[in-house]
Amino acid sequence: MSYVLVVAEVRRGIFEERNLDSIGLCTLLGKDAILLIPEGDYGINEQLVNGLVRVKTEETLFLNPLNMVNILEKIMAARGKPDMIVFTNSASGIELASYAAGYFNLPVITDVNGYDKERGIFFKSYYSDKIFGEFRPSGEGTFIITVRSGSFKENAAEKGSAPPAEAIEDVAANTARTFVEYVEEEKTDVDITKAEFLLSLGRGIGNKDEIPDYEELAGLLKAVISGSRPVIDKLWLPKARQVGTSGKTVKPKVYLAMGISGAFQHIAGMKDSSCIIAVNKDPEAPIFQYAHYGIIADIHKVRDALKGILKG
Amino acid sequence: MNLIVFTKRVPATQEEELRITDEGKAVDLSKVPFKVNDWDNYSIEEAVRVVEKSGGAVTAVSVGDAESDEVLRRSIAMGAKDGFLIETGDVLHDPNARATLMQNFLKKENVPFDAIFTGVQSEDDQFGAVGGILAAKLGLPFVSMVIGIDAYESDHLIVRRELEGGLQERVKVMLPCVLSIQTGINEPRYVSIMGVRKASKVERKVFKAADYQENVVNKIEAVKWVYPPKKAGATILSGELDGMCKELLGILKEKGVYQ
Ligand SMILES: Cc1cc2nc3c(=O)[nH]c(=O)nc-3n(C[C@H](O)[C@H](O)[C@H](O)COP(=O)(O)OP(=O)(O)OC[C@H]3O[C@@H](n4cnc5c(N)ncnc54)[C@H](O)[C@@H]3O)c2cc1C
Ligand SMILES: Cc1cc2nc3c(=O)[nH]c(=O)nc-3n(C[C@H](O)[C@H](O)[C@H](O)COP(=O)(O)OP(=O)(O)OC[C@H]3O[C@@H](n4cnc5c(N)ncnc54)[C@H](O)[C@@H]3O)c2cc1C
Repeated sequence: MSYVLVVAEVRRGIFEERNLDSIGLCTLLGKDAILLIPEGDYGINEQLVNGLVRVKTEETLFLNPLNMVNILEKIMAARGKPDMIVFTNSASGIELASYAAGYFNLPVITDVNGYDKERGIFFKSYYSDKIFGEFRPSGEGTFIITVRSGSFKENAAEKGSAPPAEAIEDVAANTARTFVEYVEEEKTDVDITKAEFLLSLGRGIGNKDEIPDYEELAGLLKAVISGSRPVIDKLWLPKARQVGTSGKTVKPKVYLAMGISGAFQHIAGMKDSSCIIAVNKDPEAPIFQYAHYGIIADIHKVRDALKGILKG
Repeated sequence: MNLIVFTKRVPATQEEELRITDEGKAVDLSKVPFKVNDWDNYSIEEAVRVVEKSGGAVTAVSVGDAESDEVLRRSIAMGAKDGFLIETGDVLHDPNARATLMQNFLKKENVPFDAIFTGVQSEDDQFGAVGGILAAKLGLPFVSMVIGIDAYESDHLIVRRELEGGLQERVKVMLPCVLSIQTGINEPRYVSIMGVRKASKVERKVFKAADYQENVVNKIEAVKWVYPPKKAGATILSGELDGMCKELLGILKEKGVYQ
């Protein structure tokens, strides 16, 4: 029977919310979703899917691409080939999806954020969301998708009955890559997730020497400084200040973004702020799509003008 | 250790207005400056650091047109020994096709390596898929989002990979392997114009992509380019700079974060 295999992303006992986007895509496609998940109590709403396959293995083994391909092999042997295999578009999802695509020689489209049912087209972001590409698999047969978080969640709907569950056992653990341990981020004194007002700096600030001037502005405004990933990568600000998927998720009353373009990994970390104000010289910067207020101008000039007014 | 690093020349579109042309068939990049993919800058640096400690050599490889030589010169200036260009004028829409081409090249030219580094993703297309596909095709273990190499032994590496929300995962991976390198893993060295000029005296080998076409097929079809659907969007403040800044302060007051 025709089905879509949804590979669950579970991490340290938690069923990640972005799995709902994978399930939602199946509903949109009108396909039966079979959820692949390691054994364990993840407290999921099973009625959202048409079936479950529980794998008798530890989470870290499940999330290892070298083991995942063996698990997928077993499922395909038992159930036949799925129409599509869906992963989350996350550190783990992309890793699993790309490896599986190479292993099984299957088409892969990553970071899918939309679907046009009539034309059978998947949308994928390019150039940090300035343009979308329309894609479809070239031939018939199974293909692989990773789904951007937040894209299809609302399509997920309960089916009204508890789905059947199967189990997979005897998954051999590959030894070429093995999990050692989790490493937590160091604790620091500043917690940007608690701030009511964040002044967030992006690559647009240009270089490290500009930081003190922005710190002065933050002082005058009583705002806490945060930043986008490139600013942290370049060591202009400490890691604890990073907003985004691989940093912190923040929801301040006001998020004032200066010189940030609005890549989805950044947006995901700040989109629920009560008020987003963006300053950027590029009127097409995607961040203006998410902001409540925007100023199209040079950030340094805005900074200096604000300082001028505040200092009276 | 001998390391192969794949490096790509990409358009720097962050500050550019992008226009779709030919009814969605193309994006006009003619006025856009090109540069090395940010992720690959970090991976070249990491590779050079590894060989500086462990011995061996770094080979930088790029797939692209003759202009891609620029990223090879840059890699050599950073410390790579060789630069190989797999020259093609073709558009490879599909990371699968690209990885197959790379696989064919490595096999046919018998390039020795202990590990292959790619960037986590290309800035332009954000597929993030080449490393994983290539690893599986070569039958090698793969670790993506590598944000630290903690130890290298004769037969394995201990690496840290980045997950979400600041969490990392420490992983042991046997050699040879493929890693995709995440930005922030190091602080890439500065490359001067003089350095690149000096590097251009080192011979870069050019190979023709046409010689490595076995099974290089597009498994996905790029139908066309479109502009993203517009959301409600921001209220754009207008007027003189000073006026806009006063309005901004007014909003901050209204939201209760500034008195
Ligand atoms: C696995 C993974 C995880 C990631 N995690 C995160 C994350 O947690 N957080 C994050 O932020 N990113 C993350 N990223 C990176 C993300 O994809 C983007 O690369 C990043 O967010 C871009 O940062 P930016 O907006 O500061 O820089 P850019 O995209 O370079 O944008 C700079 C902006 O500044 C503007 N600008 C430049 N100069 C001026 C000026 N003088 N005046 C006004 N405007 C100016 C430009 O127009 C441009 O819009 C991640 C990427 C990957 C692959
Ligand atoms: C309508 C349309 C038209 C398109 N036209 C073009 C076009 O004209 N030209 C074009 O290039 N793409 C074009 N694309 C983009 C193309 O479809 C793919 O997105 C891209 O080829 C696949 O991703 P990747 O291999 O670069 O990615 P990723 O997997 O994101 O790259 C990750 C890493 O792989 C390595 N890598 C990837 N590519 C290379 C390379 N060339 N050389 C060395 N290392 C590399 C690098 O280490 C990089 O960090 C088009 C897309 C659409 C929708």
